[in-house]
Amino acid sequence: MSLDAIKILTPELIVILTATLIYVLGAFLPGRHWGRVAMLGLIGAAIALYCTYEYRFWPEGAQAPLASVEIKGPIAVDLFGQYIRWLALLVGSLFVLTAQRPSSSTPAAEMVGTLLMSVAGTMLVGSARELGLLFLGLELVSIPTYVVLYLARGDRASQESTVKYFFLSILSSGVLLYGFTFLYGLTGTTDLVEIRQILLAGDDTLGAGRLFGRLALVLIFAGLGFRITAVPFHFYAPDVFQGTSNLNAGLLSVLPKIVGFTALVRLIAIAMPGYEVLAWRVAIVLAVLTMTLGNVLALWQDNVRRMLAYSSIAHAGYMLIGLAVGLAANMEDVSSVALFQGIGSTIFYLVVYGVSTAGVFAALTALGEPDKQVDLLDDLAGAGKTHPFVAGCIAVFMFSLAGLPPLAGFWGKLSLFFSALGVDAPTGGDTSDLRKWFLALAIVAALNAAIAAAYYLRIVGVMYFRSPLTTLAGEGGRGARVALTASVVLVVLMGLAPGRLQSGANKAAQSLLPAPATPQVAKLP
Amino acid sequence: MNDPFVFTLLLPLVGTMLVAAFGSTSHVGARITALIVSLVTLLFASRVTLAWLGGHPYEIDVPWFSNAAIDIRFNLGLDGLSVWMFALSALLTVTAILVSWEAIKDRAALFYSMLLLLETGMLGCFAARDIILFYVFFEFTLIPLFFLIGIWGSEERRYAAIKFFLYTLAGSMLTFLGLLAIVLWVYDQTGREQMTFSIAKLVAALGEHPLPLNLQLTLFVALFAGFAIKVPLFPLHTWLPLAHVQAPTAGSVILAGILLKIGTYGFLRFSLPMLPDATVTAMPCVLVLSGAGIIYGALVALAQGDMKRLIAYSSVSHLGYCMLGIFALNKLGMQGGALQMINHGLSTGGLFAVIGMVYERYHTRQIADLGGLARRTPMLAVCMLLFTFSSIGLPGLNGFAGEFLILTGMFQRAWSDAPAIYQATWMTIAVAGVFGVVLGAWYMLWLVERVFFGPLKEPGGHAPAPAAHGHGSHDHHGHAAAAHDDHSAIHDLNFREAVALVPLVVFMFWIGLVPQTFLAPMAPELDKVEAIVAKAYAKHDWKSVAKTEDELNHRDAEDAEKKTEMKIVNVVDQLPERGGE
Repeated sequence: MSLDAIKILTPELIVILTATLIYVLGAFLPGRHWGRVAMLGLIGAAIALYCTYEYRFWPEGAQAPLASVEIKGPIAVDLFGQYIRWLALLVGSLFVLTAQRPSSSTPAAEMVGTLLMSVAGTMLVGSARELGLLFLGLELVSIPTYVVLYLARGDRASQESTVKYFFLSILSSGVLLYGFTFLYGLTGTTDLVEIRQILLAGDDTLGAGRLFGRLALVLIFAGLGFRITAVPFHFYAPDVFQGTSNLNAGLLSVLPKIVGFTALVRLIAIAMPGYEVLAWRVAIVLAVLTMTLGNVLALWQDNVRRMLAYSSIAHAGYMLIGLAVGLAANMEDVSSVALFQGIGSTIFYLVVYGVSTAGVFAALTALGEPDKQVDLLDDLAGAGKTHPFVAGCIAVFMFSLAGLPPLAGFWGKLSLFFSALGVDAPTGGDTSDLRKWFLALAIVAALNAAIAAAYYLRIVGVMYFRSPLTTLAGEGGRGARVALTASVVLVVLMGLAPGRLQSGANKAAQSLLPAPATPQVAKLP
Repeated sequence: MNDPFVFTLLLPLVGTMLVAAFGSTSHVGARITALIVSLVTLLFASRVTLAWLGGHPYEIDVPWFSNAAIDIRFNLGLDGLSVWMFALSALLTVTAILVSWEAIKDRAALFYSMLLLLETGMLGCFAARDIILFYVFFEFTLIPLFFLIGIWGSEERRYAAIKFFLYTLAGSMLTFLGLLAIVLWVYDQTGREQMTFSIAKLVAALGEHPLPLNLQLTLFVALFAGFAIKVPLFPLHTWLPLAHVQAPTAGSVILAGILLKIGTYGFLRFSLPMLPDATVTAMPCVLVLSGAGIIYGALVALAQGDMKRLIAYSSVSHLGYCMLGIFALNKLGMQGGALQMINHGLSTGGLFAVIGMVYERYHTRQIADLGGLARRTPMLAVCMLLFTFSSIGLPGLNGFAGEFLILTGMFQRAWSDAPAIYQATWMTIAVAGVFGVVLGAWYMLWLVERVFFGPLKEPGGHAPAPAAHGHGSHDHHGHAAAAHDDHSAIHDLNFREAVALVPLVVFMFWIGLVPQTFLAPMAPELDKVEAIVAKAYAKHDWKSVAKTEDELNHRDAEDAEKKTEMKIVNVVDQLPERGGE
């Protein structure tokens, strides 16, 4: 068992060991080349991740049922976890590339090493199936983030944003833990599979205690809502984004979202059956508030990072749609479209969003220089003329985030809309109430997509329709250029051939439930 | 076997890169590469079109996003509805490149790349046989046009580009939801085996499992949001004049010539065959809006002082005719509507091109600044006159065939086959349509008269005075105008401009003289659509739109009273019919 666990966690171990190595050696060799070592570490982790598993996403049909590889204990061995871990490695390497030329006041080794730590944390969350390990993973993302935020810029704005993030993050962790305690008190176990079975067993064993489950649900939503920047837990995001570097803003908009949604799926959609009615309602309300507020407030921003912070909030709202669908589909009386599943579309959207966003911030980093980065929208004016390649890439990312075909973002929106309307598909039984809610949700999301296009277009418009106001250095380093090129290629490729990634996401969602617990495979969480 | 088709669609895309490669240093390389690419594309497009007409259609059908549960295909092919628009897209791109030849020197490589990207989008949009593929191309056309307007447009270009983009996007997001809902309904009704996105299969399946009326109406509104904005149907047209006036000539040509037709095409392709009952229910409203658009567009056009803006409003009026024909829901009307889509593309595309040529020579679009240009540029004036005649529907030219069919269709609908409650309204609309033709002739001929005839008047010199006088007193015209105050350099249509316009003229005559050549290939497909809506029309209950039983009972009680009223209406309605005969 313990050997197995080590084998399964090899990729994480490699990442953490690389980080430790960089920390230790960085003290003696204060160079700026630690990014390359970090990349080596991530590549090693990827190879390990590829080798660890006997079953994979492709080719079709080669997926072994979960039961045969089932390992009891805190680590989930499923495609869902693997999907998240691949995603963490992917965006992690984009960020490490972007971080190759930090500002002169930033110690390069510590910066890169800490970045690796939070990547390891994200991967750990992907495969955690136990409350303690899950929390550990979440903190392994948060704590390095405080350090990274502090290291980025030496100025007061950066310190303010670090402190702001630190206190609110601690608070949210506390709230989350409080929720965990209720869950533990209710079921007497910290294993998510066992929690699920106890809650499925019904009211007899739980009695009045069931009520505490609701409390746990709300507290978990609140605690994780902070990580995914769901309204009303979003207040820190614009200030923190504005006060930090472009790289960190990218980090903050992607990694916490990945872990937040992963944890939400594992905790609420899987481990808490019986609370769906409350859960999908909470998710819908959060989704509508989050995307609308994020998109509307983004319209008036002049600071690029602040605008992208609101954009990041809005995208959390879109992803919550998938979660809400997944939660609603959990109920007995709703049959769902087999393929475009809520949770599948959420994690697919995470990939689409993660790559586009990592690309945008890599591009912004590339346009600036280590000690003077791009801050305002006006700084970008005329970039279409002065830096045609980078500006072209930013335009591609913007159109992708706005959800225009034939780019990756379009398929993300397509699968989310599909999943929301899929709940609408009438199959007998009284689901009309549910249908109306999700139809309304889809319409709100569609209108939001149109609002969102306004500020994405504004960025494109500033770059192409105006003449330069300041000179952009374009000295962000070769790493950032590589990262943005890789992202743009991925965004276009995912746009032209989204099939595999999407079906992989759906397989991942299907793998979430242990096979014996669900009779039909088509019936997904 | 499929090569020409693949080439047609791939060439502009590859051309985008070629233009970027050859045009990075000078605008000459960019425009020559773009022209060659677009000509070769036109060649392949005509081959595909001719092959289709000859009964050997090309088709591309590759699984795109396809597995056990879902079947999104990269499926492209032509049919009667799309064949002419497909060919016209390829033709007008050549025109657009030729009219930009001298005008675009700034960032030319990007300009021609965008134009070719736009061509890919248009060709794909009309050839797509898969609902998602259609939507992908439909939305994709926005991006290049956004850049075309925003970078190379006139003074207010940024505002115009963003307004155009957002307006269209807002509508099409709802259209997207509507299309997805249709797919899901069919999936649900056909046993949930595999989700099909093929347009033909969806239409067939909806024939067997029609949507309930309430759902149809909801979906119709969703589809309407995108297509009616694209058309644009009055009162959703406000983005159009702005976009047209600010766009560079090439952008206006393509926008008027092709992109607006995607809206009417969408109605013919999706709304009518997929949601026939809702179409019939919505028909009275759409007819009223079309009629209002015809008159409104014409009246506003009359009041314009800017040539481009005038033509833009004339587009609102003309697209009103297209919608009127399509929503007359009979064979004549729909044929006319479909034909008018091509006609308007040719004539308005041509008009925008001519105005662009005038603008290149005089740097003004104001009617008041110009006059008697026929003396200086006789050939240009001839072309302008031909396009005008086509636009106002002079017999012998294409506009006549289209408008005649549309109005005949509408008269037939209003006089011989209208439900009693709407007969009077529809008759009014039909008459308004005729009145709109008169207004159209008025504003167009007046435009030609003021700009091309009468005493010669050129900006910088109020009378045909010697150019030397102009220099000192008209500095406010700025450098560009000052340079052109010496109007001796103004030349008539040159070879390049002639090449741009002549094909349009040829097709205008061809359609005008032998419309059957163009109507016949469209007929079978149109008949299919017509059959579907005619069935819905026949069984539509005109008296009650609300379907709850209580209301029905209530209505039955009132019917007796209403019948007497209707008799009176009928008697009144008989009168104009006799007058008409």
